[in-house]
Amino acid sequence: MQGFVDFIQGFLDLGATVILPVAILLLGLFFGQKIGKAFRSGLTIGVAFVGIFLVIDLLVLNLGPAAQGMVDRLGVQLNVIDVGWPATSSIAWASVVAAFIIPLGLVVNVVMLLTKTTKTMNVDIWNFWHYTFMAAMVYAISGSIIQGLIAAVLFQIVCLKVADWTAPMMSEFYELPGVSIATGSTISYAPGIFLVKGIQKIPGIRNWNADPDTIQKRFGIFGESIFIGLFLGAAIGALAGYNVGEIIEIGMAMAAVMVLMPRMVKILMEGLMPVSESAREWLNKRFGDREIYIGLDAAVALGHPAVISTALILVPITVVLAVILPGNAVLPFGDLATIPFIVAFIVGAARGNIVHSVIVGTIMIAISLYIATDVAPIFTQMAVNADFNMPEGSAQISSIDQGGNIVNYVIYKFFALFN
Amino acid sequence: MKKVLVACGAGIATSTVVNGAIEEMAKENNLKVNLVQIKITEVGSHVDTADLLVTTAMTKKEYPFPVINARAFLTGIGIEDTKKQILEELKK
Repeated sequence: MQGFVDFIQGFLDLGATVILPVAILLLGLFFGQKIGKAFRSGLTIGVAFVGIFLVIDLLVLNLGPAAQGMVDRLGVQLNVIDVGWPATSSIAWASVVAAFIIPLGLVVNVVMLLTKTTKTMNVDIWNFWHYTFMAAMVYAISGSIIQGLIAAVLFQIVCLKVADWTAPMMSEFYELPGVSIATGSTISYAPGIFLVKGIQKIPGIRNWNADPDTIQKRFGIFGESIFIGLFLGAAIGALAGYNVGEIIEIGMAMAAVMVLMPRMVKILMEGLMPVSESAREWLNKRFGDREIYIGLDAAVALGHPAVISTALILVPITVVLAVILPGNAVLPFGDLATIPFIVAFIVGAARGNIVHSVIVGTIMIAISLYIATDVAPIFTQMAVNADFNMPEGSAQISSIDQGGNIVNYVIYKFFALFN
Repeated sequence: MKKVLVACGAGIATSTVVNGAIEEMAKENNLKVNLVQIKITEVGSHVDTADLLVTTAMTKKEYPFPVINARAFLTGIGIEDTKKQILEELKK
């Protein structure tokens, strides 16, 4: 027995990036894949981690000193870099608890379906990374894998419950029959639904609206990550007192981060895909004929013109919020591209009213910025545990998605009481 | 060669699933396609050059090329129909 425990401990000590590839290989074999295919999946994930590390280096090494320069020169305290959800998911998957999450998540969902405590069959295995992050965060403060997994299960239960609750509203507004949205990024903003209802009772404001086409024409540029990267990078360089050459360089580097990061995470996704498809088939075979919702990525709702318009307007608002909110330390960057996921429920609740969605979105993002600021030290520690290179000095990292996730924060604070 | 846009919310997760499926289909049928994986908000900058849009997101806009909804790849229900639809467009 001791030998077995030593073996497991030795394996966990190998480093995070070895563990998930091996876990994916084993899961693939469990679902009946050929060894060659399963091995390839595992290897692909290892490769993806290498790629993601390179891009995070590019981001942190360039933006870190510039953010610090801006802090020194202007006194704006924005020294927590928002690395965005792609990097956040990688930090989550690189945690030692990650290996347990996919099988555990499936079991929890199956048990809840069997006990009729949920109607959602979440086939969106990729977004299990939110549960993984929750587990990794609690593991980071407690050192206990069990506590981490309990936290992940709690997070998952909230996701499924909110997905059930919002399914009628989502299917009506977005015309998505039989579908529910259990994505962690979107679930966090469910309280916005109540705010929307409040706003729509206020005389005057309740009649305001805006036209999506005009907004998309005027704000279209904020939908293209490559330009966001360039402008924001250059602006920060300028505020940090860089010379013209350096400003162009950092703008280019940040445009590169915005384009390259998703490509790298795509490789991670490719590695997870075979297991994700097997898991989906496995669930479909067992529960496919029941009256249930199929839990999908919030992506299915995101093309709606009102969602796009709201998200476009919220990009510059988020940057301004970060600067003017006293006590916020997060410099928005990576997750400026994630705002559509943030507003999916809000726009649905507002029935596509863009003005109401923007007002509520602004409030919710402000809350997220504060939460993301508060968890920055532990977030940074998690990245260090995952062998990411963090710059020396004062710069920290966090993210608006998941880092600023309200559900994640409440569960984390609960576990922090005991640890 | 047809230029096919594959779009989802972030251009990462669900579009990778669809991208892989189309790649495989094209190989099986010996078709050459130029697959471009993007965010749904980036469709605008490809309007003049694309031949087809396959998306897991929704879209209500009119485009000068056909649009195929690929939600089936996520739910696992009706994948064959969607594949047939895509293949027909690729062969045109």
